[in-house]
This record gives sequence, C-alpha cells and structure tokens, in this order.
Amino acid sequence: MTTQKMHIDPYERNWMIFSAIMLVLFATAVSVAAFGMGIQVPAPEQRVDPRTVATDPNSPWSNPGLREIATGKYDAYVLARAIPNWEYLPKEMTVPAGSSVSFYVTSSDVQHGFKIQDTNANFMVIPGQVSKLTIKFDKPGTYNFICTEYCGSGHGVMYGAIIVTP
Amino acid sequence: MNKYILNIVYGLGALIVISALAFKIFQPIQVLPRMQLAPAFLLVDQDNRPLTSEDLRGQFVIYSFTYTNCPAPCYNINDTVKEIQSRLGEVELNNIPVTFVTLSIDPERDTAEVLNAYAQTLGADTTRWKFATTTNQTLLKTVIGVGLETYYEKKEDGSFAFDPAFVLVDGLGIVRAEYRYATEVSNTDRILRHLGVLADEVKNSTGTNKLAYEAAHLFLCYAP
Repeated sequence: MTTQKMHIDPYERNWMIFSAIMLVLFATAVSVAAFGMGIQVPAPEQRVDPRTVATDPNSPWSNPGLREIATGKYDAYVLARAIPNWEYLPKEMTVPAGSSVSFYVTSSDVQHGFKIQDTNANFMVIPGQVSKLTIKFDKPGTYNFICTEYCGSGHGVMYGAIIVTP
Repeated sequence: MNKYILNIVYGLGALIVISALAFKIFQPIQVLPRMQLAPAFLLVDQDNRPLTSEDLRGQFVIYSFTYTNCPAPCYNINDTVKEIQSRLGEVELNNIPVTFVTLSIDPERDTAEVLNAYAQTLGADTTRWKFATTTNQTLLKTVIGVGLETYYEKKEDGSFAFDPAFVLVDGLGIVRAEYRYATEVSNTDRILRHLGVLADEVKNSTGTNKLAYEAAHLFLCYAP
C-alpha cells in the first residue's frame, strides 16, 4: 500500500499547528488552575424553596447579612431579588482586611448573577439553588458586586458593595 | 500500514474522551465531596467524661448544634435526629455505626448534669447520641466556627442566634456534607440517602474500583 503525502499550504499548516498548541495550552491552564492552584468552581450547594426562602423565619435569608463564624471568618447570606425593586440584601457589608468570606447567595424570584469586582467571584444565582463561594479579601478597599444576568428592567441598578477596612 | 495504526490511535483517543463524557453525564458512581478535615477536639460529654474526635473515628458522625434552653420546637433539630435514628434500618450501612453528637453552644448553663437530664428527657440512647460541650469558649468557637463552619453567637437576652445545621463526617474524619438549613423538610431523606452513598463507597472503593471512585470525585459526580 502506498501512502500519498497530502499537500497542505504552509500558511494553513502553520495555523493548524498554532491552534493545536493553543488547545494544549488551554487544557494545561485549566488543569493547573483546578488542581494546582485550587481554584473552586461555584457549585450549587443546596436546594431551597424560593417561595419561602425570604420569609420563613427559620431561613437565614429572612435576615440576610454577615455573620462572623470565627475570628476573620465570615458567612455572608445574600438574597438577590427583582421584586419589588431589583436589589441585593444586604446592599453593603463591611469586613476587616484578611477576612475570608463564604457567600451563600440565592434568589427569591428570577435568575440573577453575582460578580464581585477585582475578585474571581462570578456566578449565577438561581432560584431554588444556593450558590456558595469563599473569597479571601486581603487588600482594603471597596469591592462592588453587580448582577451579571439580565433579570428585568431594573437589572442595571442591581448592585452592592463589600467594604474591606484596613 | 501507518494509516491503520494512526486510525487506531485516533479511535482510542476518541474512546477515552467519549467514556469520560459518558461517565460524567450518566454518573454510574456517585460520591459525597471531601469538603475539609473535621476539627480535632477534646470536649466533655453528658457523663462528664472526655469526648475526643479520635473516639469518633471509624463511624459516621452527624453533628448538630443546640442549647438546652432553646425554646421548642427549636428548628426541630432533635426531632430530625430521632427520625433519622428510627429510619436507619432503611439504608444499607454494612454495619458501620452512625453516631450523633449534639454540641451545646451554651457551656455556661449546659453543664454535664444539665446535658444528662436533657438527654434523658429526649429519651436518647447516649451510646449513639452524645451531647458535649466545653467551658473553653475559644476552643468551642474554633471547633464549631472554623472546623464545622457553623455560626453561633450569644444575643443580649442570653439566647443564641445560630445556624441549625447538621454536619456529616466520615470514618476518616473528613467532612462530607453540610445541611445548613433546618427549613428544608427533605433533610431527613437527604441525610439517609447520603449515609447509604458513603457506606457504598467504603464497601466498594477497593482495588480497581477505587480508581472508578476517584474518577467520580474528580468529575464531581456528587449525590444530590
């Protein structure tokens, strides 16, 4: 059996090699991020009932906000809602620098987003699901968080801030 | 000839990718995540005896938190424990014992005597349902806050604000599940199902199967 050498234009071949290298690079970067640097993917934590999550007195989101679970370690229960006026509860949270904050975010109506500027926190907020992510705030400053999923006419005014004091 | 070899190589590559995808999509094996190490501690139990984290190795431990003065129904924490205990027969546990440890967040009032009386009022079998605390407030805060990641804080009026959470720790002392919201009525079913998943992993995760279980961990095939 004779093997026939296929003719490939050098320009095309170079780009093929380049894209293959890119694929390998991306796969390596993802693996290093996941296993080497321990970057966490915000996974759904638990299911809740979106109809009662904001009103049930036993639910942490009926009284959303920061709780200090140990020195420098906080839980932040955040409720995102479009009804009545597109907002996060609480709108502002203050923690000292060096704190690690676990965000538990859920929605009582439609799907929202939760992105904290200058951190790698960016996740979907799905009614009925709790999204959890832990972020360590080392540098003092104001970290705004915004809604990144279009959720209605008030989507643009849906924001809040985490203030990290020195 | 080269062409055949090349086809085989491509075929094998495709097979690996397809089986990895199928493994993730159909999830033939489900596991519970290994969340973090459970805290090591030395506390005092309801009989005024020391209770250490090492005493609880080799069994599944479900931690809950309360204080004896918590006004009833107190998030139904104790009712949930009782319901789980009475329904343990429904899951295949392969003789791995399940111990419940209720940590009191109010050590000032909840002395060993108080906890003992509390256990008797609840009708708890204290070999499988232990009550413990420590007067060392820093240790207690570290065990519950840092180790088991559960919030509690004393309020002005002497009552407590706390998360009525359950934390499931496996026989190696690794936190495998947290059930944070007492409002979820499905907690009991979920905990029972998870105990079965854990027991299956202990039983089947040996030899070659261990690799399949590690793959389930790697692909985040977590039981709902």
